[in-house]
Amino acid sequence: MSPHRTAADGAFPAVAAAAVEATRGGPTSAFPGGALEDPRRDACPACLRRAWLLATLSARLAYRARDPEGLLQALALSDQELIRALGGRHKRELFERHARFERSQLPAAEGVRRICHHDPLYHPALRGAGAPPMLHVAGGFERMHALLAQPTVAIVGTRRASDYGMEVAYGLARGMAASGITVVSGLAEGIAAAAHQGALPTGGRTVTVMAGGVDVANPASWRGLHRRIAAEGCALAELPCGAIARGWCHIARARIVTALARVVIVVEAHERPAELLHARLAAATGATIAAVPGRVSAPGARGPHQLLREGALLVREPQDVLDALYGVGVHRAAVSRPAPGGRLRAVLDQVGAGNDTVAKLTAGAALQGAPAHEVLVALAELELGGAVARGDGGRYVVCM
Amino acid sequence: MLARALTYTIEGLHTRAVNVEVDIRAGLPSFTIVGLADAAVREARERVRAAILNSGYDFPERRITANLAPGDVPKAGPGLDLALACAVLAASGQLPPERLESHALFGELSLDGEVRPCHGTLAIAQAAREEGLHALVLAGARAREAALVEGLHVAVAERLASAARVLSGGPGDPLPAPRPHDKESERLGEAAGSSGGSGHLDLADVRGQSQAVEALILAAAGEHNLLLSGPPGTGKTMLAQRLPSILPPLTRAEAIEVTRIHSITGLLEDGELIDRRPFRAPHHSITTAGLVGGARRGWVGEVVLAHRGVLFLDELSEFARSTLDALRQPLEDGRVAIVRASHSAVYPARFALIAATNPCPCGYHGEGEQCRCGEADLARHRRRLSGPLLDRIDLIAHLQRPGARRTTRADGRDQADAPAISSVEARERVVRARERQSTRLHEEGVSANAHMDAPMLRRHMALSEGAEQLLRGAQERGTMSARGIARVLRVARTAADLDGSARTREQDVALVLSLRAQEAGKGRRAA
Repeated sequence: MSPHRTAADGAFPAVAAAAVEATRGGPTSAFPGGALEDPRRDACPACLRRAWLLATLSARLAYRARDPEGLLQALALSDQELIRALGGRHKRELFERHARFERSQLPAAEGVRRICHHDPLYHPALRGAGAPPMLHVAGGFERMHALLAQPTVAIVGTRRASDYGMEVAYGLARGMAASGITVVSGLAEGIAAAAHQGALPTGGRTVTVMAGGVDVANPASWRGLHRRIAAEGCALAELPCGAIARGWCHIARARIVTALARVVIVVEAHERPAELLHARLAAATGATIAAVPGRVSAPGARGPHQLLREGALLVREPQDVLDALYGVGVHRAAVSRPAPGGRLRAVLDQVGAGNDTVAKLTAGAALQGAPAHEVLVALAELELGGAVARGDGGRYVVCM
Repeated sequence: MLARALTYTIEGLHTRAVNVEVDIRAGLPSFTIVGLADAAVREARERVRAAILNSGYDFPERRITANLAPGDVPKAGPGLDLALACAVLAASGQLPPERLESHALFGELSLDGEVRPCHGTLAIAQAAREEGLHALVLAGARAREAALVEGLHVAVAERLASAARVLSGGPGDPLPAPRPHDKESERLGEAAGSSGGSGHLDLADVRGQSQAVEALILAAAGEHNLLLSGPPGTGKTMLAQRLPSILPPLTRAEAIEVTRIHSITGLLEDGELIDRRPFRAPHHSITTAGLVGGARRGWVGEVVLAHRGVLFLDELSEFARSTLDALRQPLEDGRVAIVRASHSAVYPARFALIAATNPCPCGYHGEGEQCRCGEADLARHRRRLSGPLLDRIDLIAHLQRPGARRTTRADGRDQADAPAISSVEARERVVRARERQSTRLHEEGVSANAHMDAPMLRRHMALSEGAEQLLRGAQERGTMSARGIARVLRVARTAADLDGSARTREQDVALVLSLRAQEAGKGRRAA
């Protein structure tokens, strides 16, 4: 693990702006020292222009989405190279517009700040080649800084997750946030949304990376969660405000999520390259790859099992992640809910064992002798206490 | 010469008194009817003329003007024939006019002078009774229906001549003997036009699915709304079709109400009192107007026909969204207000909604790997079911396929084949539970637990300590909203009533919690 990732002291090491400028093109803006939230702090025109160019070339980049590697290579190109590679018939026009670009051309949105890699406070993990040169930030610099100064864990997985997967993602995120860890993910259906939801209630300890503009809820049906993360946690995006997410944006977003995380946990993923993308990218950034096992017969467990076979860290509970971050037993996970005892324990264990309906619990040999109404009362207590939840088909799932 | 006769016309579910005034004077022979008459009433001219002549009377070859007052009420249907004919007879001096003041006349005439029954007899008998008329003269086939109204003299007239005899002070025709009929349940199934209202279906046919059976009994006992959800072939429709067999009987007042509606809409075949609750099961291609009414003046929808009974919507997610949304008002208020450019009306529509749906478009969601629906399909499916409609559903029973691995009992029989409760037993429990409710809620003016409001809940819940603790915990942790808790309480009260318990116990609340609608799950937007 590279040294700049252990940001335990809470501040990024200042990188000489000049050194970066030498590799990235001319300096333009002055970075006011001191207060993070200084209203004058903004990205420089060159970096803003990059965001503008990506949004302009978005449709052309979409053709590259089928090949993540090629896309990431394209994203590592300089502005000129990018226009030459993707500009097609419009190269000359694009060069002209590129040369004429002005700061005011990039749309602004309320509450959205911008920061670029020329700023000494730009996250060091995003300074590598191919990393986004600037970020749009919803939620304020101070909060972003505070959240990313904590150890960060990405929880990722499939969009078509099972109830079990969602509960695990939610529970892991909740436990991690309670232990002071920031949960990073990209807003999406399934595992990612469950992870954000799990981490949010604990002081908003979650950072979401948006595929399109930072102000555009995508998927739109998650706008409630998106708004809450922007208000309590932090939302980041590479593309300008208002930009629509295309296929390539999700791959580009994955590279930011993995770059920001020290551990990447895959909760549920089908055995498809697209669903294991985060893990593959994490291998390149040096983050620890972790996976949550499942039933061997479950399609959503094939991805994690594949990773585990390749040597990924096995995660069952937040403590496993804490052990990996701090060393075994150094940091104890915060206990959020006392484990139920007695008859509740017996019912909970049976639910965990797969007897997930009232019929199975009362009819089977599982709880031999327990009258149906007692099982129902126990289930109600467990559900109202948050120890079990109900998913598709009314089946009970154990919560972490 | 001028004569007046009394009759009624039907508008929606209401009756309006109509004064038939006939004036005969010298002039070219003609017969004119004025006063907002519809096509059926205008055609009455020909029927009246033929009936009068064929009954042996003279039809005056003079200028006849009939006015239907009040002039601003549209008159519909052939039921005005008898009054018209009698008024013509009186105006031409062939009938003493005195008794026309105190007798209401209702019936269609055939050309040979026979009086035919019309829809809505019960409603008209009620109106005649309210107006304090001496008697109602009508066809024999509907006399029993009119006789359901106490305190009204019903005179049977099978022919125009008999009506004339009654109006001259003579006796009416004898009441026809009741038709021998088959089992009442079958009659109802036919009359209500329901697809599955037959009395042959028994709950004992259902194997396993004990939770869903329990939910069905709860719904029947407390008039709660129930959603059956599960993959194809798990018995959702089978269960719902057996619901009529366990519904409690109608009370007398309710029966009159239901019979009146069915009589007006022409669904009552033999004029007997309906004593079983209606069970309506419209196909999912139904339009909004078909469901709530309002297609044309006086047309009532399925929700009104299901009044005091059950509306069963199979394949709920296949119904048009706007059609389902139209159910919100009746589910909330027990009535439906129809407002159109030409007419407006408020109809009663207090029914229990029983719906069945697949968990996803392909039907196999939550059944391991079988579901092939995309995320967008699932979201669309959930969206259609969620929201305001789901908010009014008290119980959700999830039906599961019996697993491949079954536990075998000591006697070698499959556990899934455990005998379900029979309809007779279930109905007994339901009837007793309903009796307890009506005794308790008598003074509140509601008939079933489903209609208790918050103050009533406070007065009648009688929560046990354990139950209160369970719910207080839920409220403190914020797991359930106040509205969600109120809904659980209403059904829990029914569960206690079914068990004959005066207090609402912990286990009642727990049972209902296992059958409640879920709030949005983690990583999901809606249940």
